[in-house]
Amino acid sequence: MYKSLFQKIITIPIIIYALVLIAMPILYVLALSFLKSDAYGGIINEITLQNYIDIFDVVYLSVFLKSFIIAGIATFLCIIIAYPFAIFVSQKKPHIQKIMMVLVIAPFLTNSLIRMYGWIILLRKEGIINTFLQNIHLTDHPLQLMYNDLGIIIGLVYTLLPFMILPVYSAVSKVDKSILEAAKDLGANKIKTFTNIMLPQTASGLFNGSLMVFIPAIGYFFIVDILGGGKLMLLGNLIKNQFLTARNWPFGAAISIVLIIITFLLVKLYKKKGGNMDELGGF
Amino acid sequence: MKWKNFYIGLVLLFLYLPILVLIIFSFNTSSLNILFEGFTFKWYGELLNNVSLLEALKNTLIVSITSTLISTIIGTISAFALKKYDFKGKKIINQLLYIPIVIPEIVLGIALLSIYTFLHVELGLGTLILSHIAFSLPFVIISVRAVLDNMPSNIEDAAKDLGASNIKTFWNVIVPTIMPGITSGAFLAFTLSLDDVVISYFTAGPGSNTLPLQIYSMIKTGVTPDVNALATLILLAVFLVLGISTILQIRNIKRQVKV
Amino acid sequence: MKKIVLLTLISILLTACNFDNSKDNVVNILNWSSYIPDVVIRDFEKETNIKVNYGTYSSNEELLAKISSAKEGTYDLIFPSDYMIELMKNRDLITTIDKSKLTNLNNINPNYLNLSYDYGNNYSLPFLAATVVIAVNTENIKDNITSYNDLLNPKYQNNIVLIDDQRIIIGMALLALGYDMNETDETKLKQAKEWLLKLKNNVKAFDSDSPKTFLISKEVDIGVLWNAEAAIAMEENSNIKTIYPNEGFALSIDNFAIPKGSKNQDNAYKFIDYILRPEVMQKIIESYPYKNVNKETDKLLDSNYLNNNAANISDKMIKNGILVKNIGSFVKDYDKVWAQIK
Repeated sequence: MYKSLFQKIITIPIIIYALVLIAMPILYVLALSFLKSDAYGGIINEITLQNYIDIFDVVYLSVFLKSFIIAGIATFLCIIIAYPFAIFVSQKKPHIQKIMMVLVIAPFLTNSLIRMYGWIILLRKEGIINTFLQNIHLTDHPLQLMYNDLGIIIGLVYTLLPFMILPVYSAVSKVDKSILEAAKDLGANKIKTFTNIMLPQTASGLFNGSLMVFIPAIGYFFIVDILGGGKLMLLGNLIKNQFLTARNWPFGAAISIVLIIITFLLVKLYKKKGGNMDELGGF
Repeated sequence: MKWKNFYIGLVLLFLYLPILVLIIFSFNTSSLNILFEGFTFKWYGELLNNVSLLEALKNTLIVSITSTLISTIIGTISAFALKKYDFKGKKIINQLLYIPIVIPEIVLGIALLSIYTFLHVELGLGTLILSHIAFSLPFVIISVRAVLDNMPSNIEDAAKDLGASNIKTFWNVIVPTIMPGITSGAFLAFTLSLDDVVISYFTAGPGSNTLPLQIYSMIKTGVTPDVNALATLILLAVFLVLGISTILQIRNIKRQVKV
Repeated sequence: MKKIVLLTLISILLTACNFDNSKDNVVNILNWSSYIPDVVIRDFEKETNIKVNYGTYSSNEELLAKISSAKEGTYDLIFPSDYMIELMKNRDLITTIDKSKLTNLNNINPNYLNLSYDYGNNYSLPFLAATVVIAVNTENIKDNITSYNDLLNPKYQNNIVLIDDQRIIIGMALLALGYDMNETDETKLKQAKEWLLKLKNNVKAFDSDSPKTFLISKEVDIGVLWNAEAAIAMEENSNIKTIYPNEGFALSIDNFAIPKGSKNQDNAYKFIDYILRPEVMQKIIESYPYKNVNKETDKLLDSNYLNNNAANISDKMIKNGILVKNIGSFVKDYDKVWAQIK
């Protein structure tokens, strides 16, 4: 097949990008995960499966388990908050809907760390929420709102909520209102309308949102660091520590590869359920 | 209906609570961020003297603008190339594009750090820009592709029939038609880059601290209220831009409703 | 042909990213967080026209990871502690110091020269000394805390902040159990792990960057932290008292060192020499009241510093401090224990 110069020029950048910035780094991490490390961070060119075997140590398995539980709770809470919100907003007039969605997105165009800092001011022992609760005598001693699992979950839900709201809202607003009306006319009660029409028609949006919340939640080490007080470790922190303090790159690489595999399985499931890959881009 | 509005309000309150706190405390005379003691503008003045913070802001803008420009240009061309041409490895490339979107950011972060180290590339603004291109390019491609897929194919043929060259057709006919996809892709790339913590954390070097990284280290060592002032200013800018664009869009919606 | 084009493009892309910093007048410094106040750096920049690229780390291990993964020549000046100097020297990561380039060398207190980790100071010069202390807010804690073991009291649940430093904290557990702080014996390390897991119930946070904030904002009442952090907390809240535990305490001497391959060595020397000036060191010590090792600065420090028992530790007291030692590849065992605790 004849290839014009034009074709060559416009296809080369994407080939270089895919090779240099995606394939090469990921393949290198894969290679790294089968190598050994010395005590000081050097990499020894000897092939081993030890890094993968080490993951099955109770210490690290519990980090996996804990990460999935916390990310799962955060995802669940995001659904609980976002789903009704999306349904209620979709019942509004078009321009109100538009304003609402802008209001949802706007905070997320500002710095996420600054917003985390806002949460510290709110949640700490002598912070705004505790001071308020004590002033109205709802509690007589400050509550532990951060430096624990609760703080991390608040931070994750807050940061990732829009990634749930947007796909769910877009799914909900696509549901044909006349069908809902028809169901009502035929005497279906609210619960039946919801389970038989709304839920099946918006399932892919929910799945999309769940993926976009669950996967990042596993890796957001800075939220765990800031709101967890550095004593809780999720997978993101574990990987970060292997690379930046424990100097065991091969082990960190092995954990990353396992994480990639888990991600791929989830995405595969999503595709199998009829999910559109391009919609995972969010927005 | 009332309780539905109440619920919507509650969710919005959750989203805006930390931001409101920051705005209020940016006018607080006390630097401790615990009680509101008095009104002042002094932190806005202090902000201008905070060299590290301003430098980080400068770096952030350099990285975001450069990476967005490059991602947008390459993304637009590539979306077109991937649609129009068949070439070896196209299928694989199409698959690879989803990797930065779906895998946890930290994995891409350490992968890029590893490859830079392996190739002895010095960490700094250069690696930051490259890394930001790495995660934002696929978003541009998807955004452009969505518009490209809806473009009638006869536009291109018509231009060619009229004797326009490939480049001319692309530049004069296709680019203007897919402009909405390009701008929304660029906007997405820019916002992702502006707020990236995880990947920058691994790929920045000496002298290339970005705003999120600087604020991260400030949160760990002690935040001064000039950060609140900066947050307030950023928020103001965001609302100004979004507000104007929303008003314009709502006008359109209303006009359509009337027609 | 196509492959050649591709490869050259890749290499151009990658070299383009090697923004050459050396041609600018810069110095790339990597230092502990909360160690040198911003104003000192700005004054140095104004005086010398050298741009300081300043990065921070929170532990020696983090510094080691950064230095060994970064391309040689990325950094010009770092501040490793004693044992890390020895380790970096052995690993050929730092280069010898040319003392002839320093005019203020004689200001250094000779007590802190010629120490076991670097006899002759060929690779390092002392910058500051830090000790690990227990700080207690006596407003809420009436008990008389004298030992690390007192911290295990279940009353203190969620009420302690610890620095996030594996050698120091595991060392503390070893001291509490009556062992050597640098123990490498497997069973003793295991006991230390058990001890720390017990303590963890009382720990609210691990934080090296600013543990004082936890005490000042009354988030916790007890902290095991660096002496300057305790000293600042004491200044902010007079109820906070500093205790040197019976079992002994860790002493850490942090040093100037120049990484191998540094491209801006002359600027690094200028920075060291600037810091060694008595009045500059005074500014640093007044912002971060660690144990000063500059004998000329000693003459300038006021009673605020001298009377603060966390900041100004007597020479006699400091002799009781225990240095963290380089333990070679046993560091992996410490890594493992640390991972199990956190």
